[in-house]
This record gives sequence, C-alpha cells and structure tokens, in this order.
Amino acid sequence: MKHPFSENTITEDGRLMLRKMEKDQVETVWERFSAQQPQCGFCEMGLSCRVCNMGPCRVDPFGEGPQQGVCGADADIIVARNLGRMIAAGAAAHSDHGRDLVEVLAAVAEGQAPGYGIGDEQKLRRVAAEFGIATQERAPAEIAADLAQAMQEDYGTRRKSLTLLARAPRKRRELWAQLGITPRGIDRETSEMMHRTHMGVDNGWQSLLLHGLRNALSDGWGGSMIATEVSDILFGTPKVTPTSVNIGVLKADQVNIVVHGHNPVVSEMLLQACQAPELIDLARARGAQGITLAGLCCTGNELLMRHGIPMAGNHLMTELVIATGAVEMMLVDYQCIMPSLGAVAACYHTRMISTSDKARFPGMTHREFHPDNARELARTLVAEAIENFSRRGEVYIPVAPAPSLGGFSVETIIEALGGSPAPLIAALKSGQIRGAVGVVGCNNPKIRHDFGHVTLTRRLIENDILVVDTGCAAIANAKAGFKVAEAIRYAGPGLREVCGALGIPPVLHMGSCVDNVRILVLAAALADALGVDISDLPIAGAAPEWYSEKAVSIGAYFVASGVTTVLGPMPPITGSLNVVKLLTEGLADLLGATFAVEPDPEKAAVLIRRHIENQRAKLGLPAVQV
Amino acid sequence: MKRVVVHPERCVGCMQCMLACATAHSQSGVLFTAVRESPQPRPRVHVGVGLYGEGFPNRCRHCDPAPCQLACLPGAISRDSGTGTVLIDPERCINCASCAMACPFGVIRYHPEHHAPLGKTVAVKCDNCLARLRQGRIPACVEACKTGALTFEEADAALKRQTDAVARSVSRTAEEAPPAPGFALLTAARKSQLALKNP
Amino acid sequence: MQYVIIGNGVAGTHAAESIRRLDPQGVITLIAAEKDAPYCRPMISMLLEGSAGAHQLPIRGPDFYDTFKIDALGGDRVRAIDVAARAVTTAAGRRFSFDRLLIASGADPRPIKARGLHLENLFFMRTAAHVMAMLRVLPACRRALVLGGGLVGFKAAYALLRRGLAVTLLIRSGHPLSMQVDREAGAMILAALKKKGLTVRVQAEVTAFEGGATVTRAQLSDGSEIPCDLVVIGKGVLPALDFVPREAIAVDLGVVVDQHLETSAAGIFAAGDAAEAYDIARKTRWVNAIWPEAVAQGRVAGMNMAGRPTPYKGSLGRNVIRIFDLDVMTGGLVNPPPDARYTVLQHHDRRRQRYRKLVFRYDRLVGMVLVNAIEQGGVLLSLIQGEIPLRVRREALMAPSFNFRQLLPATA
Repeated sequence: MKHPFSENTITEDGRLMLRKMEKDQVETVWERFSAQQPQCGFCEMGLSCRVCNMGPCRVDPFGEGPQQGVCGADADIIVARNLGRMIAAGAAAHSDHGRDLVEVLAAVAEGQAPGYGIGDEQKLRRVAAEFGIATQERAPAEIAADLAQAMQEDYGTRRKSLTLLARAPRKRRELWAQLGITPRGIDRETSEMMHRTHMGVDNGWQSLLLHGLRNALSDGWGGSMIATEVSDILFGTPKVTPTSVNIGVLKADQVNIVVHGHNPVVSEMLLQACQAPELIDLARARGAQGITLAGLCCTGNELLMRHGIPMAGNHLMTELVIATGAVEMMLVDYQCIMPSLGAVAACYHTRMISTSDKARFPGMTHREFHPDNARELARTLVAEAIENFSRRGEVYIPVAPAPSLGGFSVETIIEALGGSPAPLIAALKSGQIRGAVGVVGCNNPKIRHDFGHVTLTRRLIENDILVVDTGCAAIANAKAGFKVAEAIRYAGPGLREVCGALGIPPVLHMGSCVDNVRILVLAAALADALGVDISDLPIAGAAPEWYSEKAVSIGAYFVASGVTTVLGPMPPITGSLNVVKLLTEGLADLLGATFAVEPDPEKAAVLIRRHIENQRAKLGLPAVQV
Repeated sequence: MKRVVVHPERCVGCMQCMLACATAHSQSGVLFTAVRESPQPRPRVHVGVGLYGEGFPNRCRHCDPAPCQLACLPGAISRDSGTGTVLIDPERCINCASCAMACPFGVIRYHPEHHAPLGKTVAVKCDNCLARLRQGRIPACVEACKTGALTFEEADAALKRQTDAVARSVSRTAEEAPPAPGFALLTAARKSQLALKNP
Repeated sequence: MQYVIIGNGVAGTHAAESIRRLDPQGVITLIAAEKDAPYCRPMISMLLEGSAGAHQLPIRGPDFYDTFKIDALGGDRVRAIDVAARAVTTAAGRRFSFDRLLIASGADPRPIKARGLHLENLFFMRTAAHVMAMLRVLPACRRALVLGGGLVGFKAAYALLRRGLAVTLLIRSGHPLSMQVDREAGAMILAALKKKGLTVRVQAEVTAFEGGATVTRAQLSDGSEIPCDLVVIGKGVLPALDFVPREAIAVDLGVVVDQHLETSAAGIFAAGDAAEAYDIARKTRWVNAIWPEAVAQGRVAGMNMAGRPTPYKGSLGRNVIRIFDLDVMTGGLVNPPPDARYTVLQHHDRRRQRYRKLVFRYDRLVGMVLVNAIEQGGVLLSLIQGEIPLRVRREALMAPSFNFRQLLPATA
C-alpha cells in the first residue's frame, strides 16, 4: 500500500504536508515541475544559446539540423559557454554574500552596526594574520577595519593570487599555477567569465572550462571562504550544539517566525530580537507561550551551527512549511527563495517579508535590512509577527521534531578529535575509517526529495566512510536520524567504533553551502598532515540532488581542489561529448580529480567506495577491491 | 504524395512545432503579433510528455476511415479528396465533443478560432497546413523542427527507410551507433531519475 | 439481391450506404416510421434548447436516396416479418420480399403508468417531431416537470433550464445520469445544475397528472404535488420490436445478434437501438442505445449483408456532455461490483475542478468517468474498446499529463 506523495518525497512531514496542500488546493513546486514536462532537450543538453541577438540558436544533437549557431559556435563551444555562465552566476552569488558580510565587518569596525560585534576574537586575529595584518596589541575594531579592507581588495583589485589560497597544499597551488587557473580576484574572475562568454571572445571550449575552474576557485578559496570566516568572526565559530529538524520544530502554542535565505547578517539579528525579554512578554500577552525561531535552507543552517536554532526544512519544504498554518512571519533575504512563496502565504495567515535590497518577490512586503538599522528593524518585525498570532486559522503540525547535532566547524572537529587530526588520520591509515565524503547540495524535484542524500549517506556510513554534510543535504540527513549518538548503529563496525569512542555521530553537520569551504580546509589540513595533495586523499564529494548554479560552482571548485565529485542530476553538458569526457575523465590527468554523474544513490555509493579504495591503494594503505 | 511523418525518438520536447503551428494558423502569421490576437491562435500539434520525460509531437493522423468523421453528429467533418486531409467545418460544428470521444489519439481541442463564427467554441485539429501546401510551402511544424522529429516526405520513402532500419537491426554484421549519443546519455539519466521515484 | 432495411435512423442510413458501396446493383428498400429524412437524433435536445436550428439536423442531403438508389418509404411501419417466406408486411398493407433484412427500427419511449396521461403538454422526447410540438407550446409555459434522470430526462431538463423555465427533475436515484456516471461525478453534476436553478426531487414517482385540458400539476407517490405546465417523460426507451416474431428470431431486451450483427435467423440482421450485441466492458449482451454504436453497427451490418464478412467486436456504452461549465465523458463499466478483480482509481482535484475515475479489471481498463479535461478521453476509450493489456502503471492514466505518447514503447 503506497502512501500518497511517496513518489515526491521520502520524508513523513513532506508527505503529510503535500496532502494538506492538495486539500487546501495550493500549488507546489512538484506540480509546476510536472507542468513543464517535457523539458526542452536542447536546453537540457546545453545546446541552446541565447547569448546574442543574432540568435537564439540551437544545435541538433542528431546531426542533421544546424550544427553551429549563427556566429559559428559549435556544440562544444555552446555547452562550455553555458556551463561557464552557470559557474559565474553561482560564484557571484556566494561571493556577493561574502561581500555583504565584509561590509558588516567594516561597519562594526566603524561602530556603525548596532547589534553586531566580534563574536570570535581569536579567529579575527588568526585570519587577519593570514592577510598579513598586524594584530599584536591592537584593538579588535582596528584589526577588523584592516581585515575588511584587505578582504575587499581580494574582491576588487588585481592580484596574482587570492590570499586564502595559501591554505591549500603547496602541490595543489603549483598545479593551479601550471594550469594557469590560480584565481586572481573574486569579482574579476566572474567578470572575466561574462566577458569570455560574450559572442566572439573565448571560443576555445577547453579554455572556457579552465577559466570556469578558475572562476569556481575564486569562489571556493575566495568569496565563500571569506563569507564563512567573516561569519565566524562576527557571530562566533560553531561549536557542537544539539538541535532539531523538520516541521515539528514549529510550535502550536508559540509565535513561529521562520528565516529563509542565506546571510546570517539578517538571521542573527532576528535571533537577538526573538530572545528579547520584552518581546517574549508581548508574545505571552497575546496568548502565546513564547517565540520560536526556525530556519529554512542556509540561513537556517547558519543559526543551527552557531546557536542550535532548529530547522523546519530544506529547499523543497519551503512552500510546505507555510501550509502548517503556524507560521506568523517568514523573512527572506536572498538565494533559493522561490517566487511562489508569496502566493502560498496568501492562502494562509503568514506574512512574507523580503529584507534585501537585491531581492524582491511577488506578494512580499519589503522591509530592507542594513547594518545600521538591522537590530531595530528585527525587533519591529518580531513585534509585528506577534500581532499576527491571533490571525491563525487551522494549525497542522503532524510530526514531532527529530533531534540532531550540529556545529561541526573544522575547529570543533579538531577539538572533538582531541586537539589534532591525528586520531582521524590513524583511523584512516588503519582502515577503520575507509575515507570521508562530503554529501552536499540542494533538492531538486527531478530526484525524489531527500532520497538521494539519505540513501547515499546510509550506504557510505555502512561502508565505514565518514560523512560530513552541508546545505539541504545536511537537513535531509538530520531528519533521517543520522546525527544523534545512537546513529552509530547505522554505521559499519569501524566507523561505529571510532565515532562511539569520540562521542560523535557518523554524519557531521558542517554547515551552510558557503561552509563547504570548511570541508576544503579540513581536506587541506589532512593533506598537509599526510604530506600529500588533496587529490591523493581517500575522499570524495557528492551532490545527489543539486539544482542551483551555486552547486555547479561548488562542484567545480571541489574538483579543481582535488576532490572527485559525484553529481545526481545530469548537468547540461550532454550536448558535447568532448566536454563530458573532459569533465569525467580528462580532468584526472590535469587535476587528479573528476566529476561523475549518477542519479541512483545506490550506484553512486559503489562508485565512491571504489574511488576511495583506489585512493587508499595508491597511498599504500590497506585497500580492498570493489 | 507527401505526408508528415513523426519520428518519436528524435523529439527533444522543445515545442517549436507548437509555436509554428499556432502562428501559421493565426491571422497575422507572425509570432509576436499572433500572441496578442483575439481569439489567440492555438497549436494543432501537441507535444505530450512520455513516461520518461521524452517529448512527442501528437498530431492528427487523418485516419481513413476517420473515427471522428463517423462520430460527428452534425456531419461537420469531411475529407479533402485530393490530399486525404480530414477537415472540420467550424460553421457546422456544434461543440458536442463526440469527436474527442472517438479519437484514439487525443488530438482534438475546443476553443474559439478566427475561422469560426465570432466567439463560438469549436473543435479544432490539424488541417495538414493545406493553405501552406497550396502556396508551395511545407507544413509549419515540419519547417520548425530542427531535429528531424517531423518530416515531410513520400510515405513510400519513409516506409522504406524504416524497413531498412529493421533489416539492419537483425543483421549480424551491421553496426548501429545511436544517432545522438549525447541525447542517449540524457535520456538514460532522465530514466534513472524517474525510476527512482517509483518506490 | 433484395435488401430491406427497417428504419431510417443513423443505423439504417449507414447500412444502406455500406450495402450500396459493395453492391451497385442490389435493390435497397428502406421503410421508415418517421416522414423526415434521416436526422441526428442526439441533436433534438439542442433544438429544444435553442442552440441548433431544424436545418442543422438532417444527416444526409435531400438527394441522398436518389444518389444511393434507395427506395425509401416514409411514414409507414412494419407490422410483421414472415421469416419462412422471407417477406415483411407494413401497416399500410404493403409487402416486400427480402434476401437480406436489417432490423434497425430503433427504440420507442418507455411508457409510464399514471392517471391523466390524456392531458395536453405531456411529451416524450424521442423524435424531432416531439420537440417541434414542445416548441409550439413552450412560449406559454413557465414550470416544467421532467421525469427521469437518464440521458433523455437530463438533456430535456438542461435544455428547458436554458430556455428560462423553472425546472423540476424527478429522479429515482440520488443523482442524474446514474447509468453513466458514479456518485462523485453525479454529485458534481447535480451541484452544477442546482447552482443554475434546477430543482431535483429524488425517490419520488408521479401517480397522476391533473389539469383542465392541459396539465397544471402532478401528484407524487409521497403525497406531495408539483405545479407544472409542461411535462417531459424520459423514463428510458424500449427497442421497437412488436413486429418481430420471437419464435423465429431470438429477442431478449433487443434483437440478439452475433459478431456479424446477424440474428438467429439467417440473412436477417439487426443494428442500432433495436439490437442487443456483446458489450465489451460488461462482458455480456447489452443494448447500448447510443449514436456512435448505431453508426458502427449499421456500417458493419451493411457490409455483412452485402457479402463482405466483417466482424464486430462488440459495443461499448459511452457518452460526452457539456453541462454549463462542466464537461463529462463516460464509458464502459463505471460502477463495478465490489470484486477483487476490479481496481478503481479516483481523484477529485478541486483546485483544477477535475475529476477522473478509472475502473480496471486486472490489467485492462474497463470503465471511466471524466469530469473536465476530457480531451484525452478518446485515448482511454480506445484502451477499453481494444481491451488492451496495460504495460504502464495504472496511475499514469490518471495524471493530467497522460497522453498517447505514454502508450507507445519508450524509445531505447
């Protein structure tokens, strides 16, 4: 007997909320996906080009129709150009997020950002030192001002290399230099990609792809890394914190406020406001027991990592949480926010607030946050949310929240290991832990919701492979119960023993999507400890349900950094078998890592296990034949 | 005599045929103005989705005998003897949908049409682009299709090609590489994704 | 070869055409009770509604009989068939010999039992003449009473409502079209009609009509009374077979025919509302008195009569109606018995105002009800008619995206 909606999602709260939305006659992302079928094959193969007005053009994959665009670009060029622009967009999103944080850091240094402060002074000093800034006997505000300035220079001016690239193993940096893909400036690489992909500029499909890798690196070791480090500096470096996930984190007897989007610049202020005693009193005066703040997507991940704030769901759940009828207000900033949310909220009492000057949405009220008004505006909005409590209609929260554990920054992982990566390395060497995999990325209605993440993760930990996760994948795995101490029973004997001894779950929640850089930093640390390059490590990356351009950038910077990465949904590259071959085979010779595409997580798990065992063998570690 | 032949394995679902068909049956004949006409022209070919996300340009087969013609209550459906085209007379049509009940291919739609009396909803289906044929042009859907999923050829030639393909497929020595390995890769990925949805 | 065809409805008309196409020389005699040229019977309700004019009803032109060299006799009814002597005699006393005979006499309205049936303004709705008579008195009428929730009663009620009369529909079951639709679709249809002002009374029968010369009210079995100045009786039809000798020709509800539309008497065929053929969905003999079956049966009977053996797989009940904003298409076995062989899938999408019910017997589709989104109905009906074992998941047929492509094998 099949549950209705079990085709769409493996999660119980997802199924129940989909049924409610059907009853409430509210359209969801899955219905819109269905209405789009069949999706255009030209575009899915990367063979359509809209770059210039001599077009639009398409190339016939069957060889009979046009084989070149009007300008003469063939399939290889068109596919490479399209992929390049996806990377540029993704890198721009991450890097702009980082830039906004740097601006807050500068505003904090100038005393112009009430409510914000330096959350981790040690980290401020450490990172400043990496940027060559003197820190001895200097006040944090001074250091912060200089650091913000130096970081902005990484964005804008002409350099030979981004500052934080120094964190990568020397061998890796030399490889990048040889290939000519050392990122020189964060905005620069994105700008150059837009230039190269203009009609009549870069028409070498390989050089386009190489620049794509450089652009991605300017994100991974540039914009995203700055985002994560500055977030830690401003709001504190995450420590292990208990938390909970799924729709059940919303409370029937409390004012529920949900934050959605990406930048902790907004969500941290909302957290402060939700904790303000006078607002809690106001909530009680209006008949609620208190105020619950819950997160969606990456900004939720940021709060979860630092404060254990619970998360209501990931990407495909964002419409569904509104249907609980229990959300007084949802505040969004930018990225991954579906423009349908306003229409969904209009069917319930939920107020939708957009907060970023860069991001407007239909059906939302715009209340712009800036460093100088954020604290006050957050309070005002929380008060308004409280006033909305009395307008609730039917409330439907059909599940209990699933407990989880978050906060595994690199610093915390090292701490959990006892102060150095030595125990982990020992376990890797002995084979108790075969390797480690970062399971990251979004949801996509092309893949059964959370099925890719959870199935892959389960198989990997069964195979004694440690899993670290971020983004929507991290929520999927938390909902599946992989992040409580008892979850070691899902793990193979080796992983179970190691995690049991350390008191950590077999799946470590490392944060939001910009926090994928934490995985890079960890990989770099392991590589240095072993005296090898990242591409020699028995590790891999996986994005089983990706959808966004940001994910393309992340995948590209993982691979460029030496981490073989398996994608679930097929990217738009099948129009050029040359491009496919380069990305899935050729990059091995250039970078020691490749992409693979495998929608079935069971097969992806086998692929990854095989890769890890091969890496082990090459390192002279005990390995098995897969 | 040439006829439109459909090659389902070539359809990538781009729906260009639908746009071209609607435009060809508009008053202005130009896409940009056609979308603003009243009544808005509608396509007579319908790209439906297969079970694996494949596209398929579904159009009237101009059957002989035509079930729709037999089912039509007011006798609004007839056959053009020269081309064998089955045609619906919008003046006689009473919008009873008996033809939809009879058509085993689901190619008939009901909407106002600029050839019909003003505001009257009538049954509409492919007319083989007879007006274009008389001008020496080919059907609009064929002209639009860039992958060869819709061709305009002699039925004999199409049949021969298919027969040859079948012969090759059972021949031990003939090698058949997929005509578009990239498209085959995409299709395999789509199938895998869809299979995962059925627990 | 002498061909005699009883009835000039669509079955008889198509039979005559089939015969003439195959036999240019044979003598075709057509005997019809109605004087009119062959016309489209389903359209008479549109005549009543005012959405079609009388000139739109004929299905063949005025020179049809001449072109096809048919000797047509209108306004006469066959009184008897002498099977042994192979001849028919008519009410007017004429006698015609035949080598091949087609009984396509159609059906007559089923009579009801009640007092006061002699009053004026009580009508059946079976022929164009019935409707023309109704139209003559319509301007003076305000309150119509329609008996029967089947296709005739339903269409009459709908047409009179569209004409602006106050209409009460008296039905035996809980919703109209109980033979065609299921309870859920019936409720949707009833709601649509009620929204437009139709009054519906269930489980009540008329015992008497009262009035002066014309009817002014009806007495019901529950003791209540309904004022009315126009009554339409749509309590079904009975095959018009009083002339058929049952000892020589097997008759059940209709004339029993085999796969070639031939009766138990050699050389005598039947087609249309008068015939009882095998029903593909019900898997038993049934009279499916609908237009497309009359067309198909007439065509095939004619081919068999003219010496071209052509099998007829069987009939299938089916219907399509547009009611205000609802489109309803039905076919096959819509209300299956509670039996492990049958699987029923139903979904009412209230947001899109769309209802679909599909009935499967094992791996074959045997019945369907569609409310709105009817464009793919013919594809589903072809699955029922062809008794096609399904290779796709049943749920695929329910989806809004279901279309013909999904029945083709997936390309490798």
